[in-house]
Amino acid sequence: MNDVTAPPTGKVKRIRVPQRLRNLELGILIPAFVIILSAIVLVQLGALGHVDTQLIVLGAGLIVLVLGLHITLRFVARDADPFIVPIATVLNGIGIAMIYRIDIAEGNEGWDSIAVKQIAWTAIAIAAAITTLLVLRNHRILFRYTYLFGLAALVLLLLPLVPGLGNEVNGARVWISLGGFLNFQPGELAKIALAIFFAGYLVRNRDALSMTGPKFLGIQWPRMRDFGPLLIVWAVAMGVIVFQRDLGTGLLYFGLFLCMLYVATGRFSWIAIGLSLFVAGAIIAVQTLEYVRGRVDAWLNPFDQSVYDATGGSYQLVQGLFGLAKGSMLGTGLGQGRPYITPLAESDYIIASLGEELGLAGLFAIFALYLLFVERGFRIGFAGQDDFGKLLGVGLAFVVALQVFVVVGGVTRVVPLTGLTMPFLAAGGSSLLANWIIVALLLRLSDTIRNHPRLVIES
Amino acid sequence: MTDPSALTLLALQLGFLILMWGFVFAIVYALRSDLFGQRVRKLQPAATAGAEPRAATPPGGTAPVVPAASGYPSSPVDRSDAGNDNASKLVITSGPRAGAEFPLGRDEITIGRSGDSAIIIRDDYTSTHHARLMLWNGRWMIQDLDSTNGTFLDGSRVTVPVPVPLGATVKVGATTFELRR
Repeated sequence: MNDVTAPPTGKVKRIRVPQRLRNLELGILIPAFVIILSAIVLVQLGALGHVDTQLIVLGAGLIVLVLGLHITLRFVARDADPFIVPIATVLNGIGIAMIYRIDIAEGNEGWDSIAVKQIAWTAIAIAAAITTLLVLRNHRILFRYTYLFGLAALVLLLLPLVPGLGNEVNGARVWISLGGFLNFQPGELAKIALAIFFAGYLVRNRDALSMTGPKFLGIQWPRMRDFGPLLIVWAVAMGVIVFQRDLGTGLLYFGLFLCMLYVATGRFSWIAIGLSLFVAGAIIAVQTLEYVRGRVDAWLNPFDQSVYDATGGSYQLVQGLFGLAKGSMLGTGLGQGRPYITPLAESDYIIASLGEELGLAGLFAIFALYLLFVERGFRIGFAGQDDFGKLLGVGLAFVVALQVFVVVGGVTRVVPLTGLTMPFLAAGGSSLLANWIIVALLLRLSDTIRNHPRLVIES
Repeated sequence: MTDPSALTLLALQLGFLILMWGFVFAIVYALRSDLFGQRVRKLQPAATAGAEPRAATPPGGTAPVVPAASGYPSSPVDRSDAGNDNASKLVITSGPRAGAEFPLGRDEITIGRSGDSAIIIRDDYTSTHHARLMLWNGRWMIQDLDSTNGTFLDGSRVTVPVPVPLGATVKVGATTFELRR
């Protein structure tokens, strides 16, 4: 690599000593491993009263895998961002510790244990991340297949609706069932394909979307014929809400497109139009769809006795709120609270479980980690020099940020509950797989985009 | 093994919270220049005057030519319409690397002190993310990224993105450059 230019006279200067970032990553990974192992040990001390080596061995297996990813980076992406992997590792590990804690309460053991499954899925997800890094040596290749990724996203979205393959869980048709035992949510992978498609599409067409149009109320508005893409994505999102009965995923796709459209065009009118479409869609959904009305009802009047007792009512929401209240500032201590009272305490409600046992202090540390993770992605968008990579980095980071907002907002009663999963934390293989692939893509982007100074002036 | 006492568990819980926050702050500390930027000194008029006389360095000829990074991904978009003012390179006209050339593609060029800028200027007067050059409808525009000491086009401070004509002097910190055919 001769990306570092040297003056013809004088000594050759390197801007970054090649492995400096990787050594920094290793330095941050070690406390990350300490956090994961101590979380598991604390859960055992709190809930069992003694230390059990079985799960610690599995946790150590996870550490070996992360080290494998680290070593892969040393060879194929040595200038990649050093903070992404440690942050994802800590979040994933804390999630496993909390799932394990719920397992202890519910008496799940062996392969029934959700924590063991989560560790197995983490292994698959990290292996997928390593494969992505090995196969994808330059993110510009993705730009070539923009429309193929658009098609792939559409197919992934439609898969759960195929009779015989689709599987309905808690009313939402977002799962596919392979061979009757392996359940998978293709929508999680679709969000990556969509981010790639949106980035490629917007880089190709942004001039039409950003330059022309009539001026009204002091803001330049797009031409009518440029509304097509936004309306199509809106229709797809509404389709997900109506036919798959999944509020969160539809919201996520539309929010992702709106964010990327705004970043690509820098035009405020898109946000105004997008939000009006969103509000219109929300009103239609509340008027016509039973399950959406139930969610909104539970959000507005959770403490109403009839709403609390109704099936699909606010029981879960209220239990989560009580859990968070019990956790208070410092929490009950890992393994010492009763987060398992809340339904789905290991997946949709893992934030309430963590809030109960780690308190506000612990929860805010977790949010700070998400903040830093998203900041790394936005940084690629800020510092990069190629438009496709910039837009893709921002899109991938934003999709994680929006998902965190929607989940935490749902649990804390800021927005209606949607049934999305917390990235990295919540139990669920497809979500883990998708998020670790996002990690791999961000690493690849930061390696090719960052640290390519083409001229250095030092005084 | 006896069950740990409530006090031990409380101490362990507090220790764990401190560990988590320690991790968060370790990352923030490592990122400090990214998050908060580096210290920038206010540019004194004297420093400006000191940099100007050297602007006469002849371009090309003896000037070191900066090779395009071969590791850098080239844009798949065709380059035939790369700018109706036909600028093909950026030439440093004053400062420590006066005479250095920098090829212009279609991608935007970030200028600043941070390690991820396309043109890194490491002096006390350049902000972490100082300015950027971008191709807009075939014209190169310069945008100041709210830098401490400002970006100057032909002596006037850049407040909104403005087109850079060929041969106009752009000044960032103690360095000046211009676009050439």
